[in-house]
Amino acid sequence: MSSIPYIWYCKLDRMAKTKYLFPYNSRFIGLALILVHIPIKLLWDAYYPGGYDHNNPTSPGSETPLFSPPHLFFIGTTLMVLVGLFLIAFSKEKIEDEQIVQLRLDSLRWAIYLNYAILLFTLVFTHGSDSKHILMLNIWLPLLFFIFRFQWVLYRLNRSAKSDETKL
Amino acid sequence: MKNNIRVERAIINITQAELAEKVGVSRQTINTIESNKYIPSTVLTLKIARVFGKPVEEIFSLEETD
Repeated sequence: MSSIPYIWYCKLDRMAKTKYLFPYNSRFIGLALILVHIPIKLLWDAYYPGGYDHNNPTSPGSETPLFSPPHLFFIGTTLMVLVGLFLIAFSKEKIEDEQIVQLRLDSLRWAIYLNYAILLFTLVFTHGSDSKHILMLNIWLPLLFFIFRFQWVLYRLNRSAKSDETKL
Repeated sequence: MKNNIRVERAIINITQAELAEKVGVSRQTINTIESNKYIPSTVLTLKIARVFGKPVEEIFSLEETD
């Protein structure tokens, strides 16, 4: 501790304790963002039949200019879903202890494994416009898989603790 | 690593939840430690030993496979 200034030491200590996670309640904001995005998307599709791919300037052959309403809509909805998924995936548990940290990292590792397996598989076996769908899949799949895996492990942990309680 | 937290808890008559609160973890974590499913960190073992007022070695011990 003597080798680094005390104020740095305090900062490092605080960083280690916070673990860069969102507060517990932000998961509900995330869920709300994802739920709100569904009717918005449905309304947009009802007004502009033909879907994203025809309107989105990044699709091949599209003549829509950059940052035109369809493009902005695409950016907006993608951000809503992504921010929502991030808030759900990386919000603290009520009691964020060392076992939770371990389970979190474990789930994250499985999400990376699965993501790269699918990425490799699709890269080898698809071509052309399908590759764009891989990109879309890659945006949300690792986060979604992480959320499901982590929640499932937590559910199992709670269940085994409960059954143990009735035994005692 | 095995432990006798369950016995030590019975001696000073506290529940898993009470021990969990004293050392700042969830009750599930104490439960999985007691059933040898989770190996606690050094910090947590020291905190648990402090609650029971005993050295760590009297509560936690290595197994053949460790």
